[in-house]
Amino acid sequence: MSSATLEINGISRRFGDVVALNKLEIKIEPGELVALLGPSGCGKTTALRIVAGLESTDSGSVLLRGADITKVSANHRNMGMVFQAYSLFPNLNAQENVAFGLQMRKVAKGNRLAKAGELLELVGLNTQSKRFPHQLSGGQQQRVALARALAVEPDVLLLDEPLSALDAQVRANLREEIRRLQLSLGTTTLFVTHDQEEAMSISDRVGVMNHGRLEQIASPDTLYNKPATTFVASFVGLMNRLPGILTNGKVEVLGQNLSALSSDLANGQVKALVRPERINVTQDQSTPNARVITRSFLGASSRIICEMHDGTIVQSLMTSHGSGMLNPGETVKLEIADLEVLIAHE
Amino acid sequence: MKIRGILLPSTLLAAIIFITLPFGSATEFSFRDGGKTKHSLAAYRWILAQEDFLHYLGVSLRLALGAVFITLLIMVPTVAWLHLRAQKYRPLMEFLTLLPLVVPVVALSIGAQSALPEALQSNEYELSFMYVILAMPYTYRALDIGMSAIPLKTITEAARGLGASWIKAITFVIAPVIRNAVVASLFLTLALSLGEFTLTSLLHWDTFPTWVTSVSQQNIIGAIALSVFSLAAAFLFLFAIGLLTMRSKSDLPEGQE
Repeated sequence: MSSATLEINGISRRFGDVVALNKLEIKIEPGELVALLGPSGCGKTTALRIVAGLESTDSGSVLLRGADITKVSANHRNMGMVFQAYSLFPNLNAQENVAFGLQMRKVAKGNRLAKAGELLELVGLNTQSKRFPHQLSGGQQQRVALARALAVEPDVLLLDEPLSALDAQVRANLREEIRRLQLSLGTTTLFVTHDQEEAMSISDRVGVMNHGRLEQIASPDTLYNKPATTFVASFVGLMNRLPGILTNGKVEVLGQNLSALSSDLANGQVKALVRPERINVTQDQSTPNARVITRSFLGASSRIICEMHDGTIVQSLMTSHGSGMLNPGETVKLEIADLEVLIAHE
Repeated sequence: MKIRGILLPSTLLAAIIFITLPFGSATEFSFRDGGKTKHSLAAYRWILAQEDFLHYLGVSLRLALGAVFITLLIMVPTVAWLHLRAQKYRPLMEFLTLLPLVVPVVALSIGAQSALPEALQSNEYELSFMYVILAMPYTYRALDIGMSAIPLKTITEAARGLGASWIKAITFVIAPVIRNAVVASLFLTLALSLGEFTLTSLLHWDTFPTWVTSVSQQNIIGAIALSVFSLAAAFLFLFAIGLLTMRSKSDLPEGQE
């Protein structure tokens, strides 16, 4: 399979008054899997469709291996796409569906059916090759769609929320399978999803989009631990918004004086953004600042919901072993385990 | 549950009687030969003896096939285009296609005729265009429902993404998928065209239905026999088309056993 560099250079797209994309810039290295993550209407699917050639741009360009393909029609782009909705051709069986792209490329019948058979085996459906789409489950249909997209040895694999119509278990299995295949074939992949767990678990890098703009693109780890903007911080994972007072780059929150990561805010009341796992809850009775409301057992960890004296609700994630004594109603002390915190407007 | 259990078979029975009784009675009547008990093929022999029978049947078939061709050429791509690229205009199309039911035939015939090119106005094939308009409320709905039942846009985009040109996408994907809807719409056009009387008569053309009306003045049993023949022919058409649209083994795309 071929690996190619894909560059999206300053693409903008409007639909009437709505700005779907605003100067979007992404470069995907050969063999890399990049996920575009964002709320509904943020422009991620529009971006993917522009790369596929199914949507036009108002400005900007798409480069594949350095060549401008912005004006190249969809059927000449050599991209494989898996759609959110089931998109198998209902008049063809699984094998013919997979062989369709090869048929369009005039590959001899024997060769294309053999190749389709191989691809179906790769996605674990070689025994279902003669079945028609209506005889396959949702998960099987998306597997066939994946095999069909890969059969043409695409320069770029485009995945448009391919798992969103599936149930949780099938979803989890299939996403691992997508990653396994993508790694083994080394296909450059652009994956659009609104499910952050999905994006974070299988991507090399995740781009978070909001209102048609890319807020941040980074590895899942960086995105989670060092969000560049307050939107990314609150969109990716859970985040507590604790009241604090900013004074010359220092923020006083939960009685601690920490360095503020955002420097462009004026002194005064702010919100400190802190992950639940960075909040320590202790049974310190001398200087309590909160009260336990609930404790939810999640297996290895437990979620503790506390209420501060000013009514602010704080969520903490602790090991279940360490949180056994924290019962509802108990007064506790909350502390932030970081020396620096991201801050946002009140 | 008990009421539903009785209601369904009774409704079905009533519908069967409603459809078959007039047809059965007409068929029985068409075989009568001078009395209530004597039956023969006289009326059917009389039909075949009419020298204009085959001529007018041929005219109607020709015009009906013309209407089918126009439907295939204009209606099918238009509805497919609405589904693929212009979804927002579907309500407007819904309204427009209802107009032939609302506008009186007299107004429709004069209005539509004057809208046609002059060369067509004095040509019997103008009726083919008129039949397409008259069949539009039914053909549009048959096509619309058929195309709504499948994710036409997604599968077309999938085909394009896999390297299919527009022509190949239509040939290999769209056409086979919407075949049933297209065949249904073509049958509706054909059936309506073969039986259309009012508009044809208003525009002073002679086709099979107008000929049946005129000969019925001479031989009432013969006229009934003609009606039975027309209905039976229409049912045969329906049956043949039904057979054609059924997916058979030989019909499957290549590579499929």
